[in-house]
Amino acid sequence: MTLCEKLSKGKFVITAEVAPPRGIDYHKVLSGLKPLKGKVDAFNVTDCQRSMVRMSSLVMSHLLLKEGFEPVLQLTCRDRNRIALQSDLLGAAALGIRNICLMTGDFTTLGDQPDAKPVFDLDSVQLIELASSLNRGCLMNGKEIDARTNFCIGAVFNPFAGPETLQVWKLEKKVKAGARFIQTQPIYDIKLAEEVSELISSTGAYPIIGLLPIKSLKMANFMKKLNPTSVPDSLVEGLERSSDPARYGWEYVVDLAKGIYEFGKGIHFMLVGKVKELANFIDYLRNNGRGNEKN
Amino acid sequence: MVVVRLKPLEDILREVSGYGKVFIFGCQLGSARCKNGGLREAYRVAGFLESKGIKVSGVKSPGGTCILERLTSKDVLREAGRNSDVILSLACGAGTQLIAEHVSIPVLTGVSTLFIGVEREGKHFDEYCIACGECVISETGGICPIARCPKSLVNGPCGGAIAGKCEVDPSIPCIWYKIASRMEEIGEIEKLRKTMPPKDHRSCIYPRELNLEGRS
Repeated sequence: MTLCEKLSKGKFVITAEVAPPRGIDYHKVLSGLKPLKGKVDAFNVTDCQRSMVRMSSLVMSHLLLKEGFEPVLQLTCRDRNRIALQSDLLGAAALGIRNICLMTGDFTTLGDQPDAKPVFDLDSVQLIELASSLNRGCLMNGKEIDARTNFCIGAVFNPFAGPETLQVWKLEKKVKAGARFIQTQPIYDIKLAEEVSELISSTGAYPIIGLLPIKSLKMANFMKKLNPTSVPDSLVEGLERSSDPARYGWEYVVDLAKGIYEFGKGIHFMLVGKVKELANFIDYLRNNGRGNEKN
Repeated sequence: MVVVRLKPLEDILREVSGYGKVFIFGCQLGSARCKNGGLREAYRVAGFLESKGIKVSGVKSPGGTCILERLTSKDVLREAGRNSDVILSLACGAGTQLIAEHVSIPVLTGVSTLFIGVEREGKHFDEYCIACGECVISETGGICPIARCPKSLVNGPCGGAIAGKCEVDPSIPCIWYKIASRMEEIGEIEKLRKTMPPKDHRSCIYPRELNLEGRS
């Protein structure tokens, strides 16, 4: 069953993030993901996240697909104008890439090539409209193409960003434009995860809650710098007290995931490493969670 | 106004060295207003260059070097061209080019042209407009998200707008907070629910022109 079919059937979905290599050797990335094959529903391939150059997300998505992993191609507005975005999306469709996750993208100056020209020809809402237009068989300018694409379109939402009213309206714009699933920034509070799930569901989209295990106090502080209200004090205190902060951070997120499994629709692991633990945890979740969700 | 920044004096010295006599142009519009290229700064540069042994043949700062009529009215161009080997202009990029079009000696610039902006409290100058050619501020409470959001987002803030700050530079506020409170204040916040279409970039393909010929 594809991710898209799972969404249609209301299954609980589990996705994970994959960063393409900073180079050309992709074999290591693929072999590292093997334990997750058949467990993670789809792999979200990032598009030069944090504005650091990596292998093309389109190419990496294709390589994953070839190896039997289902990819979610991330595409941002940072580096491509509307011509390039349409061109890449048509290429993705031709390669059989079904899932796409569209976002504005981090700004250029935040990365390791701050002297690059920022593009931002479109914004996330307009990019989603563009993909929906391809799904209707038309380019952005209304010209018909030889076939309709069949993209399952996703977008992102940061519950910690403001102003709140405008963030929610932008979320609604994305769903209205054609986003079927919404992936969130990492959340560390079960109550908030539930509220955000409900908010996203109320717009008509499928909520996929972002989870990022915190490996150390240093990482917690980094996350706090990005989203000051996202990391609860209890988590920081736990990390401080723990003799093995990495394990503590992992178990914290695992507990959160179990909680979300009870009421939610999906989770997205934005993790690097911990592949075996994640595989074991998914087995546990599928076998011990809600009866109707066993695949 | 057009805001400029005077180059470091040492850099200016390096640029004019080897040319002989230097005529210095300031501009009493933007360059003077932002205190980086008006008559006062032109004299300051002249004093510095002379202290380094450079001959300065004249200093002038017309009330608008980007306006041909003002450049030519008092014969300043001819005076500059006659006595000098090189012109150093502290006018914005536009004014400096207009000077260069009307003299036969080299023209160098002593400033970098920064932006179209406003002056606050006489000391702060902020970019408010990028002259994109398709104004949207009627829809956004008179505040421009194209010029004042680094990503030029027109459909609301990005996910990096944390605690009112811009992710690109946390020292500046996210402009969408200002737009939201302004729209709330004037009772038009609901307008922001509307999806704004992609920009037609033909409106900002340069060089652009405005032609009044034939207008009654």
